[in-house]
Amino acid sequence: MVVVLYFARSAELAGVRSETVSVPQRITSLQLWDEIVKRRSRLAVLRDQVVFAVRQEYVLLGDQLLVLQSGDEVAIIPPISGG
Amino acid sequence: MINAHTTITETMNETEEEPKDFIKLTQAKLSVDEVSVLVTSPCCGAISLFIGTTRDNFNGKKVVHLEYEAYTPMAEAEIKKICRDVRKKWPAIKHVAVHHRLGLVPVTEVSVIIAVSSPHRIESLNAVSYCIDTLKATVPIWKKEMYEEEYSWKENKECFWTNMEK
Repeated sequence: MVVVLYFARSAELAGVRSETVSVPQRITSLQLWDEIVKRRSRLAVLRDQVVFAVRQEYVLLGDQLLVLQSGDEVAIIPPISGG
Repeated sequence: MINAHTTITETMNETEEEPKDFIKLTQAKLSVDEVSVLVTSPCCGAISLFIGTTRDNFNGKKVVHLEYEAYTPMAEAEIKKICRDVRKKWPAIKHVAVHHRLGLVPVTEVSVIIAVSSPHRIESLNAVSYCIDTLKATVPIWKKEMYEEEYSWKENKECFWTNMEK
């Protein structure tokens, strides 16, 4: 069970700021995205714009293999606009 | 006999301060005075500042206010990385302060202040420029621009992954 955090536009589309999601311990970042979109289908439009932050490190959507522990934070990161 | 060459040893100022990073994300109004004082140091002859404020227009639309949100712990960690990089690039730098406002920021109010002190001006001027450019590229903070009838989630052109080849 990982904690998925939603920010900015992704929070608006998901309708929530955070939720726990059950995923396999070993999963690619793209597979993780697909799992999340299964639950929150309105996020699909963001597919080409977002990255993840897994345990507060950026991860691009793709083949990168993630090893997730229970309680890990996975954040959906839309294009940023600080400053 | 008096020695013609008398050396006077001046006691240099006690302990030289440790370089510090001052990082703050807050809903409260930011203060340029407060940030300037934080980075002030007796060994520094220069303090450079960047102040980001809310502009009242975008693409012909009137901006009513900005709203900022952040993935706060990660934003602080990414700003810390920027400070570390700044010190590698410009080792002479003394103190670095990055204050970013969250929540609602009305037009003309300050959303971000970056201040850097160094003995001479070249390092702090360059470091401030690098800090704001890198913040815009890497720190997980988002800005919603509120117009009269609608709003828009902004996207920095510096955002590092939108600049990558797809």
